[in-house]
Amino acid sequence: MGQSISIPTANPFQSSSFFSSSSSKRGPGFFTKLQIPVAKPKDFPALIGSCMSAASARTQEFLTFSDPEGKFCPSPQVLNQVFLATYIARSVGLDITDTFNCTTMTPEQRILLGADWVWALLEKPTKNPRVQIAVRVLHLPEMGAGPPESGSESIQMAQMESSSRSVCERMVEFCTSIGKDCYALFLFFGKRDDRENIYGVLSNNFGAAVGKCSQIDRALIENFLKGAKTFETPSGMMQAIVAKKKGDPLTLVVKFS
Amino acid sequence: MAATQDVKGKGEGGDQNFDYMFKLLIIGNSSVGKTSFLFRYADDAFTSAFVSTVGIDFKVKTVYKNDKRIKLQIWEGLLRGAQPSLVLFSSLQRCAPAEGFQSDTAGQERYRTITTAYYRGAMGFILMYDITNEESFGAVQDWSTQIKTYSWDNAQVVLAGNKCDMDEERVVSVDSGRLLAEQLGFEFFETSAKDNINVKQTFERLVDLICDKMSESSDTDPAVTTGAPTAKLTDSAPPLQPQGCNC
Repeated sequence: MGQSISIPTANPFQSSSFFSSSSSKRGPGFFTKLQIPVAKPKDFPALIGSCMSAASARTQEFLTFSDPEGKFCPSPQVLNQVFLATYIARSVGLDITDTFNCTTMTPEQRILLGADWVWALLEKPTKNPRVQIAVRVLHLPEMGAGPPESGSESIQMAQMESSSRSVCERMVEFCTSIGKDCYALFLFFGKRDDRENIYGVLSNNFGAAVGKCSQIDRALIENFLKGAKTFETPSGMMQAIVAKKKGDPLTLVVKFS
Repeated sequence: MAATQDVKGKGEGGDQNFDYMFKLLIIGNSSVGKTSFLFRYADDAFTSAFVSTVGIDFKVKTVYKNDKRIKLQIWEGLLRGAQPSLVLFSSLQRCAPAEGFQSDTAGQERYRTITTAYYRGAMGFILMYDITNEESFGAVQDWSTQIKTYSWDNAQVVLAGNKCDMDEERVVSVDSGRLLAEQLGFEFFETSAKDNINVKQTFERLVDLICDKMSESSDTDPAVTTGAPTAKLTDSAPPLQPQGCNC
């Protein structure tokens, strides 16, 4: 029972001038990600990847912005919403939502399943998911987890239900229970040694770590990034997922911004 | 879920001021309207946009019965457990077209491992089909088998034929629904989440059935009052604690 996110009426790209002073230092490649690519119909992974890149670029602007007066400090939840709103606006603009949809989780589902949203590559004509990517955003620890999702009884019940496992473990359990065509993507909005970029660790094989590692947590997943010399792009990630042989394990480290 | 077993307001979270907590499940084929039904009941809201539920979800609603405060924890999703191939085969024979049924089942099967666990401790089920979709009606028998396989023996079931506002597209008659319910020993309602027809009544009837069963069981089955498991699922204690239910 995902909840749909309303698409912002204003073009999110129009307001990017707000950050122009900081973004201009990044070189000419930064805003090229925001331009809608002219892709061939068959180049579907590139289209999806471009939506992810646009969302990452927009989120990065917020992530790196430093208000001189120290008044504007977007919370982790706001950063998630910036990412999603940008992604959704772009994917609707490219008319790909019938093939690759995005379902945001209800607050209860976020706790129970550990995912913030789920992308799904849909089969035609049934629209059953062929591949799913459950996404959990991990923010820098010093940002905190944002205000606790409390208040409603159902939230507290969901927390009770899930208290024995970490959020990462719940995500892995959820994806593993579905199978190898469900990937867990942990999205790092900044990491310790690079606080201004967005990275991801994607795998359909985190289940292999269950039982072998004492705990599946941020530190364990961040280790994948530490050892990486090269990173996949979002388009490359989608290409790898589409090209993968059914049932095979796939683990990738991705740089989104 | 711990809270379900901690009847009589012993739960650690949430509003603890309640007399009973009932765990209910809404099950049925994909797109029969389970989520809409739950939203209508819990939030009095409806949207025609279809968003397939990812995994599972739940809402909480408190009702009152005979001065007792009853908290309903209502789960919904594609809560289909592992299915014996024989059962699947029989359903394929019954449901036409088989191709369509298979594709629908394929979507549901994605979540079967994670969702089976949620049958445990459930005291009541709303088994839903869509009156405009014969496949969903044909699958009712299989869903009934799921309930018998995975849930507590005393779990109560109401059969709901949803989308009764779409009478022009009806393919399952009221009599067919009623007859099947009788054969399975379930109560029956035709419902519409869109027009808010029989939604509240379905839940209220299910609560009544559970209360009746609680009173009956506590009189006849000592295991119920001691919290010892009586069902096949030995790891889920029946969520009945009080000596008889006066609700």
